[in-house]
Amino acid sequence: MPRSFAPLRMTSEVMAVPRTSENVLGRKEGSGLRKPEEQAKTPRFVPELETEIAGIRFQNPVWTASGTFGYGKEFAHLMDLNQLGAIVVKGISPEPMEGNPAPRIYETASGMLNAIGLQNVGARRFLAEKLPFLRTLRARCIVNVFAYSTEDYVRCIEILNEGEGIAAYELNISCPNTRRGGIVYGSDAKLTEEVVAAAKKAARYPLIVKLSPNVTDITVFARAAEAAGADALSLVNTFVGMSVDIETRMPRLSNTTGGLSGPAIKPVALRMVYQASRAVRIPIIGIGGIATLEDALEYFIVGARAVQVGTANFYDPGTSVRIVQGLRDYCQRKRLQLSDLIGSLKLPDGSAPRPNE
Amino acid sequence: MRSSANIFQMRDEIVAVAENQALTGGHFLLSLHSPRQAQATRPGQFAMLRMLGRSDVLLRRPMSIYNVKATSDPARRGSPGDSPAIIQLLYKVVGRGTSLMSELKPGDRVGLLAPLGHGFLEEEYLPRAHEADEILHVAGGIGIAALLLPAKRLAEAGFRQRLFFGGRTSADLVGVGDFKPLVRATLFATEDGSAGSRGFVTKPVEDYLARHANKKYLLMACGPWAMLQATVQLARRYRHSCLVSMENRMGCGLGVCLGCCIRVEGSGHEAYQRVCTEGPVFWAEKVIWDVARATCPDASGSRS
Repeated sequence: MPRSFAPLRMTSEVMAVPRTSENVLGRKEGSGLRKPEEQAKTPRFVPELETEIAGIRFQNPVWTASGTFGYGKEFAHLMDLNQLGAIVVKGISPEPMEGNPAPRIYETASGMLNAIGLQNVGARRFLAEKLPFLRTLRARCIVNVFAYSTEDYVRCIEILNEGEGIAAYELNISCPNTRRGGIVYGSDAKLTEEVVAAAKKAARYPLIVKLSPNVTDITVFARAAEAAGADALSLVNTFVGMSVDIETRMPRLSNTTGGLSGPAIKPVALRMVYQASRAVRIPIIGIGGIATLEDALEYFIVGARAVQVGTANFYDPGTSVRIVQGLRDYCQRKRLQLSDLIGSLKLPDGSAPRPNE
Repeated sequence: MRSSANIFQMRDEIVAVAENQALTGGHFLLSLHSPRQAQATRPGQFAMLRMLGRSDVLLRRPMSIYNVKATSDPARRGSPGDSPAIIQLLYKVVGRGTSLMSELKPGDRVGLLAPLGHGFLEEEYLPRAHEADEILHVAGGIGIAALLLPAKRLAEAGFRQRLFFGGRTSADLVGVGDFKPLVRATLFATEDGSAGSRGFVTKPVEDYLARHANKKYLLMACGPWAMLQATVQLARRYRHSCLVSMENRMGCGLGVCLGCCIRVEGSGHEAYQRVCTEGPVFWAEKVIWDVARATCPDASGSRS
């Protein structure tokens, strides 16, 4: 009997590349559409994808969404993580969480339902075991923060404040799959203000607030978060949905309901990003069903300063890197800077939406 | 938690269909040309198959890797030294994904993420295999797909093996010919009595364990939750070791969606382990079996 049944072959693990001054300092923003005589002088138009949000510079505006990309390392052997603008890690709570019983996911038409229940290693183990790897990447690390109460959100942030190499926090007030916390805060404007103000006060790093789409008027929550001191908004989290097994007449998920994500939600999510970007002055990060370059471009055009790729990471891990490349090609072809694209929606009556600056 | 060193052999590739052969009872044997993935495969691992250009069927489908071989052409057997170039997936049409799969034709392309997970012959399991007088494979329906490669490798290494194979009807008993040269005997059970004994596969397993109470066995089981649970109870009662290959819905196969987690001994965030990464093969005693609706009720096809 052989001791080992197959040789262990190590294939290309991503080389750790330290951050250099180039990508931190960045260049001056381009001037957008150039006149023909200028083109003759500079035949090669180089689009600038670098983007600034909450005082942090990102090498490009394509990020991976929380809960769909683990802690980054899981994808290191499948793609070049250094091509990403940022990695938003799985929701981190002050203490480890065990999550919900199976079944936790169910595929629906062009989408999926999930009720994972925020299973995670907790803030201290995140700092000790996950952050050191993320720090070596050119992609920025954004930590999604979850808790059951305002005090615990603050406590989680205070633990994470000890970590070096975190670019920003993403405050998760929108997870629909836990009994307490999350969406409870994200569907009550007063609680949104309360928790954002407390988190902002505690946070050593800029604060992005991730909004829930399960509200009647997204602009109320966008404004509440802005008023309470949020540096940026990301939206949307998943839509609460359900599915029933007609043979057993039981819900398909142990949690009964779950969050719907994937291409199915994109038109609704896009509408909400459009509305929110007209309601607030802080930057918006668009999330919801992004699987192609075209999807991402739509979000930029309605006002998103960056986008997050979520569910597509599950079935096609190369999606986000392809979008980065595609975005560069698109800007090159259109001779547009990213900054000219953002919020460039042309409305039928000729009016332009208020730029999101 | 288990080391994830295995993931470095995993590749995400677009591969061509070599053959998609219809078997009995709505089963198919899909042969995919993918030399690098075939060569990296260890017994009991699985693959995630993606139908390309179908955004209505979004997620990949987890499938046991049934077999790897040098060529899918039975006329050209390939010489014994040939390295594997074909990955074979044995599946049953149960839903939209597998229905689309059944329409695949030679030359069609699919996405394949493979090989994935920890199989039956991990280093930590081998001492128990060596201690056993015989390896008992227990398969329910399409669960058979996880067991051929372990049986082949164990047969090459000279282990005594026996197969217990149950299904609803005789048409579910696919792949039996492949096991024939590897095992000393195969015992069948069907719910309608059309082949072997009538009833569940655990009945012949129990008879066998009762008849040979002084022997030491290692059970390797794959099938529906209820069958696994009953098999595990038998193994416990007769004091034999038992490895189970678990099924669950999966979102990614990469260990990040946490959709496939099952309840295991432990607490905190370690109370749940990922079938795709820590599994799919677990020691039976590690799994918490009496959780309500621990797995999806319609999980009769492949792993999802």
